[in-house]
Amino acid sequence: MPTPEAQPTPLSEAIPVERRVVFVVGSGRSGTSTMAGALRTLGMHVPQPEVAADETNPKGFGEPQWVVDFHDELLRRCNVQVSDARPSAWFESGKLAAFEPLRERLHDWLEQQFVEGGPELVVKDPRLAWFLGLWRAAALRCDATPAYVTMLRPVTEVVGSKQRYYAAQRSAGEVQRTAAWVNMMLHTERSTRGSARRFVRYADMLKDWTVPVFAIGQAFDLDAVKSATANDVRRVHQFIDPTLRRVQLTWDDVEVPDRLREIAEESWQHLDRLADEGGDVPAVHEVLDQLRAAYSELYGEAEAMAHSTALAARREGLAQQPEPAVRHGVDRVPHGVRKLVPGSVRRGLRKALGRER
Amino acid sequence: MAEHPGGIANREGETAYDVTWPWTTGRLEPGLTCVFRVKNEARNLPWVLPPMLEAVQHVVLVDNGSDDGTPEIAQRVAEECGAAERFTLTSYPFRVSRAGPEHLATPPDSVHSLTHFYNWSFSQVRTSYSMKWDGDMVLTREGVAALADLSWQLEGSGAVVLVPRHPVSIESESVAWIDLGFRFLEPWIYPMGPEYTFVKAFEWEVREFPSTAERLILPEGLCVELKWLDADEFAHWSHTSFEDSTRAPRKRREWEVYSALTAGRGEEVEGLQRIEAPPGVHVVDHITRTWLPHAERPLVRRLGRLEV
Repeated sequence: MPTPEAQPTPLSEAIPVERRVVFVVGSGRSGTSTMAGALRTLGMHVPQPEVAADETNPKGFGEPQWVVDFHDELLRRCNVQVSDARPSAWFESGKLAAFEPLRERLHDWLEQQFVEGGPELVVKDPRLAWFLGLWRAAALRCDATPAYVTMLRPVTEVVGSKQRYYAAQRSAGEVQRTAAWVNMMLHTERSTRGSARRFVRYADMLKDWTVPVFAIGQAFDLDAVKSATANDVRRVHQFIDPTLRRVQLTWDDVEVPDRLREIAEESWQHLDRLADEGGDVPAVHEVLDQLRAAYSELYGEAEAMAHSTALAARREGLAQQPEPAVRHGVDRVPHGVRKLVPGSVRRGLRKALGRER
Repeated sequence: MAEHPGGIANREGETAYDVTWPWTTGRLEPGLTCVFRVKNEARNLPWVLPPMLEAVQHVVLVDNGSDDGTPEIAQRVAEECGAAERFTLTSYPFRVSRAGPEHLATPPDSVHSLTHFYNWSFSQVRTSYSMKWDGDMVLTREGVAALADLSWQLEGSGAVVLVPRHPVSIESESVAWIDLGFRFLEPWIYPMGPEYTFVKAFEWEVREFPSTAERLILPEGLCVELKWLDADEFAHWSHTSFEDSTRAPRKRREWEVYSALTAGRGEEVEGLQRIEAPPGVHVVDHITRTWLPHAERPLVRRLGRLEV
């Protein structure tokens, strides 16, 4: 029988783990590909195959194709878009983490990557932040320590950058993109709080990548970084092109409503502090919490004001849906005639036809 | 029920224990507060509190007449976790009716009613979401991660959250039995507000919520409920005959498991699994940190579930 003095093992002394998975998060066009590529070049494993490089990202994305496909499927399921400005979208995407078959599917895949690719993985995809709960659960079941790198780039440059490279999607506009950036960055910060994490400025990465990458290696105890050879380092220098930061814009170039601009600028200023050594502290978290609340309130007001537009879009969408190809026999009977049949008989008929409500 | 502006007065006139709802006195902060109402849980709290303090923004612990040092242990654990400023320790000094017939006979606005006890306890919450939790329920690592996410994701959703739990009967420091024969499912997490208060039911209290509220069911393996075989787990019930209540299937199952284990017949109960920890590891830590994360899903293989 146990004694009353029996005590739990402290949480900090949990099972020793050697597996590590680094998730690179942050808004697209913020240097996430550069960071994932640098870690891969130093010897961390990026699950294969990867999405092929193209003119928007000539050095490659560092994104596993399976992960991109998985996230696309999940986004469709929860009706969230990659650059979603709705604060409520976090609950919608977060709910998928409660679905055990998805947890199992991701765990099985991640386990396979550790077996095939070794104990240090790096996973990057701009959609990743929406599903960190699922990834965290999968990592825990693989006995792996999750760690997060969030890339930071001024919102004006991200919005400008996106408009340049994703010109076909310009209809969303600067306002929506700025709002989506605020939503993504503030909630990604909240989601990774309390976990092993580092914030890295894209500019710092391009200026001298050795400083932030060395710090990440130390903080996350990454063997690939700590034991990198001279050749590995040379290869990263060849991989990172300091001229990558091609778009440098300010608020003079981006036109958004004043309140959104204030929240976005304040968010950037405080997120930027997290990248300082010793800057990831409760005082900054508190301000970021206030900004999240302010953003949610602003979005709520805008949503309420634009409710008529949302309803009109819904009506338009419904009107565009094709008519059902096959109508049930009972549906062909005019409503006036169906009404003549007593309720109890209608219920009995529905039951017999297997169409109970 | 007696009038009390912004809350519920109690019939005994104990004004310090009238319920004053926090939303009537100011705006609630975003976040999730866990409320424990405990009596003599000193043995369990070192397992229960650290993961919960890791998961949520605030913990309120209401002690109800413990004589085993529960408040002191709770305060010490919170301080050891570096969470003293996120921890509120308080006490409710009245004897509370036992679940069952004694509860039925107690008016809901009496300080002795479970209903009033719950309402008063939850009126201590200052965040927009709250959850009740028992002093013997331990979160696994996956459970901590899931609640930590929900603690900010739920904001503004109006959803209530159901968390499956798995009873674990502890035979010794290295041996325990986990009950995977039934799915114990109960709503634990609710928004704060006038539509989410406690009302009296036949055997105990229930928390109200609008029929339109979304219900989110969390996956299995997030939480275990500790039951020490050397303690009388049924002491807080006013009788142990559960056969006559269709609303107490959980208690019936617990009684079945408890009786079998104390008689050495654990192997005979369907769905009850014996777990032995490796040397040097307490079986509770083994189950929550190693056994459950690796156990094959679904954990509970029976089709039926107990929603209580």
